[in-house]
Amino acid sequence: MSEPLLAVDAVDVAYGNAKVLHGVSLRVETGEMVFIAGRNGAGKTTLLKTIAGFMSPAAGAVRLEGGDLRGVRPENVARLGVRYVFQDKRVFSKLTVRENLELAAYPSGERLADVVARVVSVYPAMEKFLDGKAGALSGGQRQILLIGRALAGNPKILLIDEPTEGLAAGVIEDIFRLLSGMKGRLPMLIVEQNLPVVARLADRVYVMKEGKIFQELSSRAEIEAPGALEKNL
Amino acid sequence: MTERLRRFDILLIAGAFLLLLPVLKFQRATDFIIFCIFVLSFDLLYGYMGRLSFGHMLFLGAGAYGVTLFADRVSPNPYLSILFAIAAAAAVGALLGPIAVRTTGAAFALINLAFNQIGHFLALIAFARFTGGEDGMSAVFSKAGFLDLQDKRVAFGFCLACLLLTCWGMKRLTASPFGILLRMIKENETRVKFLGYDTFRYKWAAYVLSAAVAGFAGALSILNYGYVTPSFIDTNRNVEVIFASLIGGAGSIYGSLVGGVVFMTISNYLATYIPRWEMFLGLGLLLLVFRFRAGIWGMVSTLEVFRPRREGEGR
Repeated sequence: MSEPLLAVDAVDVAYGNAKVLHGVSLRVETGEMVFIAGRNGAGKTTLLKTIAGFMSPAAGAVRLEGGDLRGVRPENVARLGVRYVFQDKRVFSKLTVRENLELAAYPSGERLADVVARVVSVYPAMEKFLDGKAGALSGGQRQILLIGRALAGNPKILLIDEPTEGLAAGVIEDIFRLLSGMKGRLPMLIVEQNLPVVARLADRVYVMKEGKIFQELSSRAEIEAPGALEKNL
Repeated sequence: MTERLRRFDILLIAGAFLLLLPVLKFQRATDFIIFCIFVLSFDLLYGYMGRLSFGHMLFLGAGAYGVTLFADRVSPNPYLSILFAIAAAAAVGALLGPIAVRTTGAAFALINLAFNQIGHFLALIAFARFTGGEDGMSAVFSKAGFLDLQDKRVAFGFCLACLLLTCWGMKRLTASPFGILLRMIKENETRVKFLGYDTFRYKWAAYVLSAAVAGFAGALSILNYGYVTPSFIDTNRNVEVIFASLIGGAGSIYGSLVGGVVFMTISNYLATYIPRWEMFLGLGLLLLVFRFRAGIWGMVSTLEVFRPRREGEGR
């Protein structure tokens, strides 16, 4: 069996003496949109932070295209093509939208114009905000900017933490369209508690509970089965 | 600042310093200019990168001693001496940077203060044989090309050109991706790392650049005064550049210039009329810190005439 794009194998993570992830394993194949669902405190964000290099696993392995990411610093993980979109939707508020994108384009060596074009292609409304301060954007627009910024330099995978959290229903639909438009083109591992969004987009779902993978739904049929997502949350 | 004013700002800066001439003598006006270059170097660290240093005089001193020693022992050519001084200050920055930029907040400020103390000790005592110790040493420069920099009017013009060059360079630098990055390191370094930046390298580069520009100011000071003493590397004088930056407004080229001129005016002229002028400076600083944190330029730039037409125009 070939190596998946991203593999997390039996990872344990602890905050000091408190172990928060217990033998977590998952995989993301090329082109897949994988969701992690679970209640608050289940360890979803910790898992993303561990993959992004922000935390070191006490045991187990994180591999990208077969290469071990353990001990690799966050900036180097990002340079390897793993982009992390934070949960709190904090952009560089004092910069313009264009400068935010420029900042992301610079280390990847990609031209700013190309990054801007890519963001506008997935969310055309962003064009009119390009020269405005990012701090003036709404929550949904910030989320879109953050996802757009993560697209700079043609990443291998996006890690997105709760993209629809705290957003109004109409804005969630914008985010849904954005993710839907990117589906199949770029592998994504998304933490999400909005189950309708998960059910509509996911190729695979991992349900986390108390720091463990409690359930894996690996086909559309399993995901779409009535109550499949809800019953273990 | 409106786009039209911004386009000609270098000329406006030149004009503003020329307007100081009827009030100040050439040497004093040159002093103002040099101090502004020093404030600009400090602002790169503090205003843009968010690292407050209590030891920036070290780099001014490295430039001051560098230019003097080079002129004394190698060549009295002022241009070569200045280049050597810049390189010397940058080398000191490159050496100390890897230690300093790993820290933030009080640790950064105090580490720099410690380095400055060591530099002061070296200049004053350990290397007194070379530096002249407490007495310092004089610097004599030859006439280089058609410019006689010993002439105070020529020195003024030369230093003004140096200031304009520094302002132009800082403008380019702070508007570049590198400059944007420094501002964002100040805002949130962790997030910058997640974009794939090795922030350590950029912070180090900014530290070295800042040291080099401070060394440039130090070299020009010696050109203006013709001698160096340990006061050019004195840790107590760090408050001057900090005050100037706060008064003018940190994180802005124009703020640095305004702060430099205002501080020099206060320290040069208020002292003539008020014996303990530092107390009033302190009170003024308290007012700034509590009421006008953006400094004079920060306040001025909120006026309608200076406001950007569109949201998002750079600083």
